[in-house]
Amino acid sequence: MASTTTSSVYINVIEDVINKVREEFINNGGPGEAVLNELQGIWEAKMMQAGVILAPIERSSQKQPTPGSAITPVHDLNVPYEGTEEYETPTADMLFPPTPLQTPVPTPLPGSADGSMYNIPTGGSDYPTPVNDNGSNADIKGGRPSPYMQSPSPWSNQRTPLSVDVNVAYVEGREEVDRGTSNQPLTQVITVLSGITMHRDCLFFLGLGELLGRIKRISNPNGLNCLGYVSFNNPCSHLNELRKREDFAQYQNGGYIPQKDGAGDATSEVAKSEGLTYADQSHPGNSDSGQYWSYGGLMFIDFDLTQNGSRGGNFLDRRHSTTTAKSKILAELSRSSSKIPQLDGPIPDPYEDMLSTPNIYNYQGVVNEDYNVVNTPAPNDLQASTPAPAPQNDMVDDDDDEPLNEDDDDEDDLDDVDQGEELNTQHLVLAQFDKVTRTKSRWKCTLKDGIMHINNKDILFNKVCMQQANLISDFVREKCSRHRIAAVALKEQVKGCYSVFHLGSMVVVLYIKEESIFGLRMDDYLRQLLAVLKTSAMEYVISFILYT
Amino acid sequence: MATFELYRRSTIGMCLTETLDEMVSSSTLSPELAIQVLVQFDKSMTEALESQVKSKVSIKGHLHTYRFCDNVWTFILQDALFKNEDAQENVGRVKIVACDSKLLSQ
Repeated sequence: MASTTTSSVYINVIEDVINKVREEFINNGGPGEAVLNELQGIWEAKMMQAGVILAPIERSSQKQPTPGSAITPVHDLNVPYEGTEEYETPTADMLFPPTPLQTPVPTPLPGSADGSMYNIPTGGSDYPTPVNDNGSNADIKGGRPSPYMQSPSPWSNQRTPLSVDVNVAYVEGREEVDRGTSNQPLTQVITVLSGITMHRDCLFFLGLGELLGRIKRISNPNGLNCLGYVSFNNPCSHLNELRKREDFAQYQNGGYIPQKDGAGDATSEVAKSEGLTYADQSHPGNSDSGQYWSYGGLMFIDFDLTQNGSRGGNFLDRRHSTTTAKSKILAELSRSSSKIPQLDGPIPDPYEDMLSTPNIYNYQGVVNEDYNVVNTPAPNDLQASTPAPAPQNDMVDDDDDEPLNEDDDDEDDLDDVDQGEELNTQHLVLAQFDKVTRTKSRWKCTLKDGIMHINNKDILFNKVCMQQANLISDFVREKCSRHRIAAVALKEQVKGCYSVFHLGSMVVVLYIKEESIFGLRMDDYLRQLLAVLKTSAMEYVISFILYT
Repeated sequence: MATFELYRRSTIGMCLTETLDEMVSSSTLSPELAIQVLVQFDKSMTEALESQVKSKVSIKGHLHTYRFCDNVWTFILQDALFKNEDAQENVGRVKIVACDSKLLSQ
């Protein structure tokens, strides 16, 4: 069972240890060589019993232990690994303790009964103090570029490397919150609005036709409850586009009665069902639509009712009004976005080039998105600090029909995590790490000089490359508790929002009251929101989906 | 030379610890000496792994838990696949504990 190399290395280690402590045993009134031999004998016997040393031991220099000594009564020979405490994760306290915890703690000898006997004679000098090391390491490694950068692509110059050097404890967290809230109040949030995407990967490369097809497919048959597209980029041209289509749209929907009684309705009439399509058509490259569709089924179920009750249902059939209402919001959104000034100064220079393309606001504030069209510094930092679950569509698929976070307070999730942590693992790897990096949910670790105990075999290794894919559900589970608290806190403090909840690593603020949120009053809401965020000292990405 | 006590959790380390425990319990050995043996074991094991072991292993699996505390990484992998030159092993759940190798070289 034990490999020959493992066995021989173990034997060498035993020999080495015995040889080097021999002096201590013999000199200075030590117990003498007989005791040393006994020690070696028992040790080796245990090792053989554990199956990690191949008997017989071939020793080069050392004489065999006396047979009798190996048969010293041993109470638990068959249980080399007794699980629980042994496999606890060592903390630095355990690994570099002033008093070694692994030391046998027998009943003290008479006359030497105080704990000081367990102090290491050499004092702390042999043990690097983690406290000091922390500081220096962080300094050296801060901002080190990860080797796992995205490969170049047409979009690549707009992406950030999403790898995070996770060897360094994050210190940016606090700054991010501050910066995100204080320096870039409005634009920050608005850009995040369009920043939540899930299917960007596939949609980005869809042709126009395909994109439209997809949108129609989703919106038409059963799509009354989903409004998918919010375009914040180049809103003026967006509106123009809509206006150009106005006549056409009117003809197409001959019986449609324009609503003249409210602000912004003119646009929304135009938008209608056609507008939805046109809006996307005018920005074929913008893939955010995919995202919203994905969320659509989950989030916007209540939408119809609101709209029917308020306006559209007065004179239009239900279905039509819904479509109209959706389009209206679409138009209003784009219109309102055109009114929102950018308060945090010019878009940073390095990104000027990209400004020629209409995707200014389209950078993805949410972490771990692949296509970061434009990254202003703040979202950049956010990306570094808070990983977001990548395949969120899993979640969407799972509970398509039930309200989001219905089972929010279900403690099972957390219990699972606890179990996972307390769970005793029979299989153990002990090693030193050279580097640990994470790219999105993929972890790569380089370990060295390790011992594995796998399937009752001991394997020694010099080097390990470890690739791990994060289990997304576990990740979400882990994040849940914090975000739940945040969501609850937000809901209490932010008035006028329909719902605040957490989704993965995001806190989503969902607005349903269209009249109060858009137009000029939108500013007030966002300010209010930001004020709350500022005081709540949250360290993760807050993403908003504002919807009417 | 700095050492990790990490390896005391390995089979060989546990065997040594148990042995020392028994011997100290039976008053064959003084606790101070037992500590010295353990410290020597830390050094010898680290040296042996550095100098005598050349094998490489790759691990792939689903990351269930990760933790970085006091310069120690802890991972729990599920459905991990261990591969070395001549064999591969599947493990339902494995815990990986790793200290920072840079601490040793300092």
